[in-house]
Amino acid sequence: MSSETGFDPALYDRFPTKGERPAGELKQLEDIWCKPKGWELLTAVNNNYIGFFYVATAFAFFLLAGVLALVMRVQLALPLMGVLPQETYNQFFTMHGTVMMFLFAVPAMEAMAVLLLPQMLAARDLPFPRLSAYAFWAYAVGGLCFFASLFVGLAPDGGWFMYPPYTSTTYSPGINADFWLLGIGFIEISAIAGAIEIIVGALRTRAPGMTLAKMPIYAWAMLVFGVMIIIGFPSVILCTLLLELERAFNWPFFDATRGGDPLLWQHLFWFFGHPEVYIIFLPASGLVSMVIAAVNRTPLVGHNLIVLAFLATGFISFGVWSHHMFTTGMPTLSVSFFSAASMAVSVPAGIQVFSWIATFAMGRARYNTPTLFLLGGLITFVIGGLTGVMVAMVPFDWQAHDSYFIVAHLHYVLIGGMVFPFFAALYYWTPMTSSRALSERLGKWIFWLMFAGMQVTFLPMHLTGFMGMPRRVYTYLPGRDWDLLNMISTVGAFLFGAGVLLFLIDCARNMRFTTDNDAGNVYRGGTLEWLPTGLYSTRSIPVVKSRYPLWDDPDLPKDVEEGRYFLPNSATGLRETIVTSPLRAEPQYVQIMPGPSPWPLLAAIFTAGFFMILTIQAYYTAFANGVLAIACILRWMWDTDRLVPDKKVDVGAGIMLPTYRTGPGTHGWWAMIILLIVVGMIFTMSVFGYFYLYGIHPQFWIKPPDVTWLVPILLGHGGGAGLAILARYMLARENTELWTPGVLICCAAASLLFGFGVDCWNWTAHGLWPTASGQGAIVYAFQSLQGILVFICVLMAGYLSARNSRALIVCPRNNTMDLVVMFMCYTAVEGIAAALIARLFPGPF
Amino acid sequence: MSPPTSTLSAPNKGGFAESLAGWPPPVLDPAGPYAGSVTTLSWILFFMGVAVLGVVLMALWIALFGKERLRARLGGKKVIWIGGIAFPVVVLTALLVYGLTLTRNLTAPPGPTAMTVRVTGEMWWWRVDYLGSDGQLAMRDANELHIPVGKTVVVQLESNDVIHSFWVPRLSGKLDMIPGRRNVMKIQADKPGVFGGQCAEYCGGPHALMGFVVVAHEPAEFQRWMAARQTRVQQAAAANTRGAQLFQSTGCAACHRIAGTQANGLAGPDLTHIGTRQSIGAGILPNNRGTLIGWIGNAQAIKPGNRMPPYTMLSGEDLQALADYMQAQK
Amino acid sequence: MRAWAYMLGGLIVWTVHFFAIYIAASVFPGLPLGHVLTLLITLACLAADAWLIVRLRVPSGGDDFREWMRKLALVGAGISAISVLWQGLPALIV
Repeated sequence: MSSETGFDPALYDRFPTKGERPAGELKQLEDIWCKPKGWELLTAVNNNYIGFFYVATAFAFFLLAGVLALVMRVQLALPLMGVLPQETYNQFFTMHGTVMMFLFAVPAMEAMAVLLLPQMLAARDLPFPRLSAYAFWAYAVGGLCFFASLFVGLAPDGGWFMYPPYTSTTYSPGINADFWLLGIGFIEISAIAGAIEIIVGALRTRAPGMTLAKMPIYAWAMLVFGVMIIIGFPSVILCTLLLELERAFNWPFFDATRGGDPLLWQHLFWFFGHPEVYIIFLPASGLVSMVIAAVNRTPLVGHNLIVLAFLATGFISFGVWSHHMFTTGMPTLSVSFFSAASMAVSVPAGIQVFSWIATFAMGRARYNTPTLFLLGGLITFVIGGLTGVMVAMVPFDWQAHDSYFIVAHLHYVLIGGMVFPFFAALYYWTPMTSSRALSERLGKWIFWLMFAGMQVTFLPMHLTGFMGMPRRVYTYLPGRDWDLLNMISTVGAFLFGAGVLLFLIDCARNMRFTTDNDAGNVYRGGTLEWLPTGLYSTRSIPVVKSRYPLWDDPDLPKDVEEGRYFLPNSATGLRETIVTSPLRAEPQYVQIMPGPSPWPLLAAIFTAGFFMILTIQAYYTAFANGVLAIACILRWMWDTDRLVPDKKVDVGAGIMLPTYRTGPGTHGWWAMIILLIVVGMIFTMSVFGYFYLYGIHPQFWIKPPDVTWLVPILLGHGGGAGLAILARYMLARENTELWTPGVLICCAAASLLFGFGVDCWNWTAHGLWPTASGQGAIVYAFQSLQGILVFICVLMAGYLSARNSRALIVCPRNNTMDLVVMFMCYTAVEGIAAALIARLFPGPF
Repeated sequence: MSPPTSTLSAPNKGGFAESLAGWPPPVLDPAGPYAGSVTTLSWILFFMGVAVLGVVLMALWIALFGKERLRARLGGKKVIWIGGIAFPVVVLTALLVYGLTLTRNLTAPPGPTAMTVRVTGEMWWWRVDYLGSDGQLAMRDANELHIPVGKTVVVQLESNDVIHSFWVPRLSGKLDMIPGRRNVMKIQADKPGVFGGQCAEYCGGPHALMGFVVVAHEPAEFQRWMAARQTRVQQAAAANTRGAQLFQSTGCAACHRIAGTQANGLAGPDLTHIGTRQSIGAGILPNNRGTLIGWIGNAQAIKPGNRMPPYTMLSGEDLQALADYMQAQK
Repeated sequence: MRAWAYMLGGLIVWTVHFFAIYIAASVFPGLPLGHVLTLLITLACLAADAWLIVRLRVPSGGDDFREWMRKLALVGAGISAISVLWQGLPALIV
């Protein structure tokens, strides 16, 4: 066997170790990963707790959005019903779509990952527990505030897609749209935090020996999911930012009368919006692939093909965004590319479906609730996939688009592809986190009600669409022959609702959260999450030799429980896990993990406060919240990145691993790279917007300022990057004074600020204002993005100097220093790129 | 066919009520070539979909309940290669070639003799401008589009406020109306009739109640229809009625135009030919004296959120006079 | 990074192809040049996929994990080739 890091794989043969482990080790683990009591629950960061809260909250939003759907179905049951007035209906369908997509589907999938991923990989926790806690609380607090806007009649009514110009201040003057833009924009930040956690978790905290080839299929799904969020979500963050800038400050990004273009929004929104569907589907597909193998007691057939299908979906789904725009009159050739790519993306779906069928054929499925939900989901998803191929045909889509046919199609895909798998997963994994399993008898009733309800509701809608009924209508006229079909759909919706209600009853009767007394492996799964666990996760971290370790090594649970594998104790006396290499999962170092803390919770509350209070235009209160949020985040960061006395510790069987590492191999470095990809994607999408607006309305563009002004701007940015690198170099020279690096970093931030300032001043002095034209708006959008980065650089410089003054920045290399330098260098590069693009294209014509 | 001139505006058969009908499903009941080829495609897709679903269900049945021998065959990677890769690739390639060919044919530029109409989306009605061969405005109308049978009509789609979408399922698929842009679609009716249309892109407020009708006439009749309107003479009798005075004095004229009078408002639908239209309120009510009275008196009760204020201060006689005046605008 | 590029080679070719033809068709809307460029880009990317497939068909001679990566990369290049072909078709048809 070859090695990735120089670790000798022969060392794995030392496990399981022989002999008794010293007494007291288990006690020590239990003390370190102690159970939160009472109010301490709010400060818990452990994934068992956060994951459970997270799933429960996501499910609550599913219920809320579902109730909205039921009320809408009553309104549509007959023509000209008066249950919901027009404006309320418009708010309801907007909230139903928004909440289902942004507050249920994506968070539910992240929540499952927080709960399941560390157990499946046999890690003690995700790599950034406090970030998980922050992401969860931000989502929960922000989401509830957002939903509450409905009760005061301030909910957005522009549709979940929020197309301008309808959502501009001219046509939506109220603050309803701002709730959407700020609320959702902010919740996306929480989704990105979760994605960073999941990517680093899947790649760096796997149990030793779990190569990518042996990684559970669910972890693959979550890895692709995370990467897709990183690439796709920046686009929606950017377009919400642009529309909010247009609404608040009259910058005409989407205003055709001043050189903006409404279709820019659609491109940006769907570049996120279509991958979003796969972002929801892939994790569910991962769950299905796990459960299907378990209920059939046979390895997943075509495991590798499914891995490839995930990867291919991850790529190709970024080439289909315009199939939501077939009716906007795009050039025929461009439209055809998107049609072809939409066909291509169905091939990976076909692979998954036939792999699942083959797995059913290989094994012997038990007639139980998870199996039923799997089968129901499979059939429903196939129907949705087939109508998906239909609407990928451009001429057919001209008829089907924005009709009830699409409503049917998308609900088949999402309910078959995500909701049914989610319920299968809830039944399958509840015994892992509850002391009682959910009821099989009730479960079957729940399934049949939901499945029948789904078909009765949505199958007729295909025809309703063909009969000419458009989407998003609050009522319809008598005499259109739509009455009967709509009534059937309404009845179906209530059947579905009854199923969900019964599920709530099942939960109330049987769901008993526990961390150490779970019901156990009811369905006899073969993967690591079914190892016996406590709050510290597994007692020791096993060496993984196959995809289904529990099936292949029946002694494994006992050996793990007796501490015969990695980290049977706490090697440093702190919370810790093993960081392994990305490809072959060779142990690299011991990561010290942070413990419970109130700061993530407080930071989340203040962040939510900042965005929500901004919506109601109480600016001073909002900024006070913003300052407090930043203070809380810095406070939580302050405890991290500390050295422990032992530079190397024994992680079991005499294998010594370092406790502190710097450089490209560390989990912090990876997280920063991913964050910079997010920031880079936001910038890339704004560059797309720049060229796009020029392409549509070149007549609104003016000559840029003289290129000689580039000199001070580039000097400022370049100098900033240079000074930051110098600071890192000076830190490595042990003979420099302690304060040198801190001072240099502050100078670097000042230099970046200078470059940014000159760039802004240059444009205003040149006479271009952001309100003037599409050009002005997008040029100042570059400046706004740069301004945010420079502001963060200034904060970082202050933080680093403070740490430096407390001797927390240690020689010769230090992670905090590395990450700050990396961020500053990126800021310089983006600033230079923005300055060059805006001045050199379309050029001094 | 040569209907009497007095019923010029009436279609040969059917009417507004029929244009609303959802059965047979308009998408599957095309009235012209641009919808017809899509209907053929829809049926092909439907049967293909049913066939594939059948295959999947059968495979699933065998996997769960089939004989051991069949299940063993199904339980390998080969099935994935055949069912999940080879089969879709063959089917989808065929579909793609067909779909692309159809797309090309349907988006081909129209011939030079085609008639051109500009339809502009408004919140929540349709401005219809008939263009002459020189591209200049020839005649204004609203919420109703008249076309000759058997001829391709080019419809220029624009918007004055937010995004709308123009959809007459029996004549063509839909195309969006986007501020700052002009989209061009082609429609053609192969037989006379009244075809219902609807805004398909959510445009806020009463988007649900933003309909219109397309009326197709035989070519000769269409010529007469057009000629009669272009040479319209203001009926003297109507001009001096109480209704005409009320139209000016109560403010109707600020938003509505009636050619040949002082009413020149362009914010609302042009009412020059309101008396001949099939429907009022943008394709939501049949056009008769009763509905006109109701609409003028309180349009908000009928179509909440629309831009026409309620005129509850008008007496019953006033409303009747206005409705009569409207009906006289032929 | 090299390992990832090896595993995802075919899909990276797909990405390059898709965005290249999208840019070509957007910069020259409705012009024959858009079609010609699409065709050229498609041929180049098909050649790249073919090269990948030929190379990846040979066993790598590494351990199980290396072989696993190779097989994944091979199927990926195959899917990429089909998608690239489909996306090139419009240049011939529309």
